Amino acid sequence: MSAAAAPPGVRPDLEQVFRSDYPRVVAVAARVLGSRDWAEDVAQEVFLSFGRSSVPAGEATGWLTVAAAHTALNVLRAGRRRAAREQAVGAGGRDVPDVADAVVAGDESSRVRAALARLPRKQAVALVLRHSGASYAEVAGALGLSVGSVGTTVRRAESALREELGNDASSV
Amino acid sequence: MRHPSDGTLRRLLDEPVAVSDDDRAHVASCATCLTGLAAARADAAAVGGALRPGGAAEVDVDRAWAGLAATLATTAPAPAPARRPARAGRWRAALRRPAVAALGALVVVAGGGVAAANDWLPIFRTEQVAPVEFRPADLVALPDLTAYGDLEVTGSGEPETVPDAATAEERTGLDVPAVAELPTGVVGEPAYQVVGQVTATFTFDAESVAAAGGGELPAELAGSRFRMEAGPGVAAVWSQSSGLPALVVARAVAPTVYSDGVPFETARDLLLSLPGLPADLAEQLRALSADGSTLPLPVPADRVTSEPADVDGLPATALASRDGLLAGVVWVDDGVVTVVAGSIGTDEALAVARELR
Repeated sequence: MSAAAAPPGVRPDLEQVFRSDYPRVVAVAARVLGSRDWAEDVAQEVFLSFGRSSVPAGEATGWLTVAAAHTALNVLRAGRRRAAREQAVGAGGRDVPDVADAVVAGDESSRVRAALARLPRKQAVALVLRHSGASYAEVAGALGLSVGSVGTTVRRAESALREELGNDASSV
Repeated sequence: MRHPSDGTLRRLLDEPVAVSDDDRAHVASCATCLTGLAAARADAAAVGGALRPGGAAEVDVDRAWAGLAATLATTAPAPAPARRPARAGRWRAALRRPAVAALGALVVVAGGGVAAANDWLPIFRTEQVAPVEFRPADLVALPDLTAYGDLEVTGSGEPETVPDAATAEERTGLDVPAVAELPTGVVGEPAYQVVGQVTATFTFDAESVAAAGGGELPAELAGSRFRMEAGPGVAAVWSQSSGLPALVVARAVAPTVYSDGVPFETARDLLLSLPGLPADLAEQLRALSADGSTLPLPVPADRVTSEPADVDGLPATALASRDGLLAGVVWVDDGVVTVVAGSIGTDEALAVARELR
């Protein structure tokens, strides 16, 4: 498939960057959301923003990765808010399963994600980037941390999430 | 020597060569650190496993690209028409930005116009905001006013970054809103941006209207002018490290439209009948603008929901994107429009709005 001319206002290298980085962006969002379908929706949003941005080409991959983590965490947070609201008013009424339903469902993956949504944003992004294969230097650059503090940040996040897993294991 | 930090132990699992020889030697011979290292390894493995997404690992890049290309094709601004390319280009560039898109809709309703004379009759003053359901394609299909006359825009509407709130106040004469308590996840200091006043003068031209399929221009409209003023404005922007705005609090002098004598209804009815404006949308605009004081805010109905709210007793409009990513609230107080929006929930946006100082 050859690259067609980009629509007005869209950066010309979008298709090239999309084809090389799309799988990585989906993978990052999927770690947050636990679902590749939702992750693909997030990836579309991220590339839409990127397509209309002037992020330098050399920084594209880093920008996309961080944007994927943030956007997916926003979706997770919004889902939890919705779940809490629906529980509060006792109104289900949704016929499409989504993140909110999954969080309410309460399986292990969902508990981890509920905990992920509660983490301070920096910890959550550092954790997701690290588990998506980013180096400590890359995580530090993305979050404005010193390289030395990335390990501490990731460790705290893992410790908090492990508590959720531990609770889950002990309840089985 | 003291024990290396938990962070160093954690890095030892991923990037052992980045840890100093001294630390590595210490850990290898320290029971406490070895226990800590084992705990870090167990936690990392358990969390890594739990974060692993289910489902097929393969993504269909071709299909995904086709989807994005389709979205871009339907939401990107249409190319400027060949006729009067410079002005049309500028107009369409302005339509890309939501804030200015709202002004664009206003201009369509009231007929944007400009000039600087004392005989201008104020026909429109924003006192409240009401959402109008637009589809993105409608926004692109808004009548290009350059086809019906001459549109001259003064002021770029481009935001400029200033160092602090005091400079922003000095430049705009507006009170820069201060946020009492930031929503969870929004941190740090905001960047301040200011935008100057934008004015636009639109003059109807009979030949142009006829050529565009608008029929015969009523005699009193031929050569009549409308002037729109909006701004100045100021925004405080909290960014995330990704560069996406986490929170934006913006305040601007709301748009006002003046006519040089033509009754508002006459101009409005002609504009509403022009080709390119969907009939149902025209009907909504007609109803909204009956008292000439409501700023229709174009809302892409397939992506954004809106509902009435209140901020300190003033009517406001709460907006939320259907994907849950963005929310905001907008209201008008004494001719000044304020917007609170970002990667937050509607409840958080309202909480910030109600606590602005």
